Amino acid sequence: MRRLALGILLLLTHLCEAQFGSAVSFPNSSEKTVLDKSPEFFVLSWKQGTILNRSETPMEIVVDSVGAQKVNIFQDNSDAPVLYSSNIITPVCADGDCRLMHITLYWTLLGDYAGFDRSSEEPLTKHDHDEFLFSDYWKLHELLKDHNSILKRRAIDELVTKPKPSTIEGVDALSGATIKEVKESVVSGALYSCYVAWHLVHGDIKDQIKAFTVAQQTEGMLVRMLNNENINYQMYALENLTKNQYDTNFSRISKLFKSGIPLVRSFIIKNLAESFSKEPNKMQPFWDALPYIDINTRSLLLQHIDTASEATVTSISGQLSVLTKNQIRDFLSHLENKSQISSEILKNLRNFAGSNKEKNSYLVVQFLEDNS
Amino acid sequence: MKKLLIVTLLLFSSISLFAQDVLVEAESFDNPGGWLVDPQFVEQMGSPYLNAHGMGKPVKNASTKVNFNKSGSYHIWVRTMNWVPGEWEAPGKFQLKVNEAVLDTVLGTRSGWGWQYAGETKINKKNETHIELVDLTGFNGRCDAIYFSTKKTTPPSSPKKLAAWRQELAAEPNAPEELKTYDLVVVGGGLAGCAAAIAGAEQGLKVALIHDRPVLGGNASEEIRVHTEGIYGNFERILKKIDTKHYPNGSAESKLDQQKRDENVKSYDNIDLFLNWRAYDAISEENSVKYVDARQTFTGERKRFTAPYFVDSTGDGWIGFWAGAEFSYGRESVDTYGEYWEEHGELWSPKEADNAVMGSSVLWGSKDTDSPQSFPEVPWAMPVSKDYAEVNGEWQWEFSRNDLSQIDDAEEIRDHMLRAIYGSFSNAKKDEVNKNRKLEWVSYLVGKRESRRLVGDHIFTFNDAKEGREFPDGVVIEKRAVDVHYQTVLEDEKNPDFISEALFYRGPQYYIPYRSLYSKNISNLFMAGRNFSCSHAGLGGPRVMLTTGQMGAAVGYAASLCKKYEVMPREIYTGYLQEYLDLIEEQKYEKIPTSKK
Repeated sequence: MRRLALGILLLLTHLCEAQFGSAVSFPNSSEKTVLDKSPEFFVLSWKQGTILNRSETPMEIVVDSVGAQKVNIFQDNSDAPVLYSSNIITPVCADGDCRLMHITLYWTLLGDYAGFDRSSEEPLTKHDHDEFLFSDYWKLHELLKDHNSILKRRAIDELVTKPKPSTIEGVDALSGATIKEVKESVVSGALYSCYVAWHLVHGDIKDQIKAFTVAQQTEGMLVRMLNNENINYQMYALENLTKNQYDTNFSRISKLFKSGIPLVRSFIIKNLAESFSKEPNKMQPFWDALPYIDINTRSLLLQHIDTASEATVTSISGQLSVLTKNQIRDFLSHLENKSQISSEILKNLRNFAGSNKEKNSYLVVQFLEDNS
Repeated sequence: MKKLLIVTLLLFSSISLFAQDVLVEAESFDNPGGWLVDPQFVEQMGSPYLNAHGMGKPVKNASTKVNFNKSGSYHIWVRTMNWVPGEWEAPGKFQLKVNEAVLDTVLGTRSGWGWQYAGETKINKKNETHIELVDLTGFNGRCDAIYFSTKKTTPPSSPKKLAAWRQELAAEPNAPEELKTYDLVVVGGGLAGCAAAIAGAEQGLKVALIHDRPVLGGNASEEIRVHTEGIYGNFERILKKIDTKHYPNGSAESKLDQQKRDENVKSYDNIDLFLNWRAYDAISEENSVKYVDARQTFTGERKRFTAPYFVDSTGDGWIGFWAGAEFSYGRESVDTYGEYWEEHGELWSPKEADNAVMGSSVLWGSKDTDSPQSFPEVPWAMPVSKDYAEVNGEWQWEFSRNDLSQIDDAEEIRDHMLRAIYGSFSNAKKDEVNKNRKLEWVSYLVGKRESRRLVGDHIFTFNDAKEGREFPDGVVIEKRAVDVHYQTVLEDEKNPDFISEALFYRGPQYYIPYRSLYSKNISNLFMAGRNFSCSHAGLGGPRVMLTTGQMGAAVGYAASLCKKYEVMPREIYTGYLQEYLDLIEEQKYEKIPTSKK
């Protein structure tokens, strides 16, 4: 089945080449050399007034039957790289019907999907020749944002296979996860367009773009990434800043610890805390964030309890409601190892133990029994 | 006392006791009614218990009869827990009925496992005392034991003190009285354990297969319903006896596979199958396992199993753990084995090691009916499910969190999934389109992906899979992509924390060496299943059940050679490798063995 589909796809691609010829250029009206506003569908933030200028790069994307299509870089007025872009024309073939898809794709400095512009002259179409609605473009945008889409790990023919229906009594409506996931991911009636677009965005060009960026990496670029809202930029900066640069950018890092996604927070506490934990005033913003951060990060932070100040330990003893069962256990175990527990901490523990709304109060009851 | 209870139960279906204190273990009730015996968390909370898993509809009463030795006024405590304490009615409420009177106290309302005082009652020793558990909600009320005493002294709650108290009350000797001797003892009746038992038996070994459920198959069983994935490798003949067809996860068709699997394993004369027996200890001397002790999950009866060789197919690596085998848990740092994959960075392999592992699933499903179906309000589930609305579960329904051990906190993990399921279904029911939909099946067993990994002579890693590294002893073969899961909430806190995502690395065919299938430091211990010797990322591909089944068959054959030459597992690699490989090759075409009926 898969071989047959592949054969048909190759044949159609060949026919497409015969039909369209090679190297079709993008309509001039879409060839933007200056970006003075955000691409229509875009994942990064765009500061008003930004003007980006296009330069060429040696990179290109080769599209079957159409040929090489250039990848350009857009830079700001200080020549700092901001975005990569390519105007793509590619055939999309399904069930013997081939047509050209026109789309301008954008990538971040790390080769991730950044967005796209549609062609006003050549809108995308669905299987039954209907033009994409705005909601369809939006769904395509959502799909392209998913770097781990099911489209990555399935051949096109696997995406249209229907699950075997259940034949015996019992649970029904167990649609195959694959089909359900695909249905939710792609534009209805435009599976092939979505498939082609996703593989263009997330194909080999990703690695090439990242390598191109890394070759030009500067401290300024890392700091801009750290201050960007894009998660991958933040992670890349955190992974590549030097210890001195952590210190210089402490304010931003401590802010990210509170406001970032759990993955970023946990990276900070696992990898950078060593730099800060010896200075209580530097760790303080991290401890202050305790009630606001996710459970995993909180567990990682609590691993540093031995270096926390008495004031911090006292403060945590008054916040046991936000801790999970095992976090409370870890905290109590820390208290158990102390030579003395202050009266304020004991008061906080008693309050918690006496509450009938706290599901983990029994742990503190036991602790007080064992340590009184 | 517990033993007395069991013996009496077996002989007279009633209980004779000679003290003023009477402990009735709930799992030993004459008739559990609609309550289920739940032995999954014995190591943590101390005992199997009865679970009112009615999916929102109160289950039928559990009942038993007790003969008291002394008449008088007895205080009654019930060991129970409120599994979702909070600002709502406890979800799992029940009451105790003693003879004709239902005691007023509503049970299942205390947080954390412990004794809840139920009240006082008069007992006449001349009459049998009839006890019933009356479920009020159908939402997983749980009862471990009932304690009657003429004194009003609450039994201990802390796990250590409770275990000692129970032992004292039961007056059990340290070692089980009955000793069973085998050539090979396999603990855990998932696919790996079944395959190990079959392979060993086919080579003439006398095998004990100990499994804590009434049916075989573990995650593939009709109780958990995960379909088998992977390839057959060298062991197609055996694995076809115990695998599943590729039904969707959660399918009721798993019942057909269940029948085939159970019948095939039972057809071997020289496999003694101990269903509903849960191993609770392994005793080792001089780095060698001498005995495995197991307990019947309903009656509490105990047996000691001895053999020259043991297979740990428990999934959680319990035999190795008790015996003192080296083990690992969590994710290694990316540098430990060089498992870096740039595309997924920290999600794939972290710069610093941590306790994150792939999570556990609880599968479930519903069906459309011809008439409107009601479902109760579940406010206690909402903090987990939030506004998530679904009518069926799939593999993505998976929960892990760094502060929760997939072993020690498995009950909390299972309960979290139950809240996710009931809450999501309740949300879905608010949609008119689901008016006739009925919650049909929710597993109460936690289906684990990853926990403790025992360390062997070789630790199988992502790189072994990625490079398709060939080993002289590469007895297990797999083509499945390496597939590591993470919780999507790590990337977006708006996501439910019980939904996971898979990261796939599609590489070449790869091999798992025999050296990853026996313990590095416990000389007579094999392991097959997700507790084989591997790294976190290395487990990503081979953790599925046909691959682990291959491991089982491979160690079953190795054990037969061990017996033949009276050597330890390591020596099969160092001294008898060619004969071992020839045996594996030969068994592919084996005719019906003489040992089989």
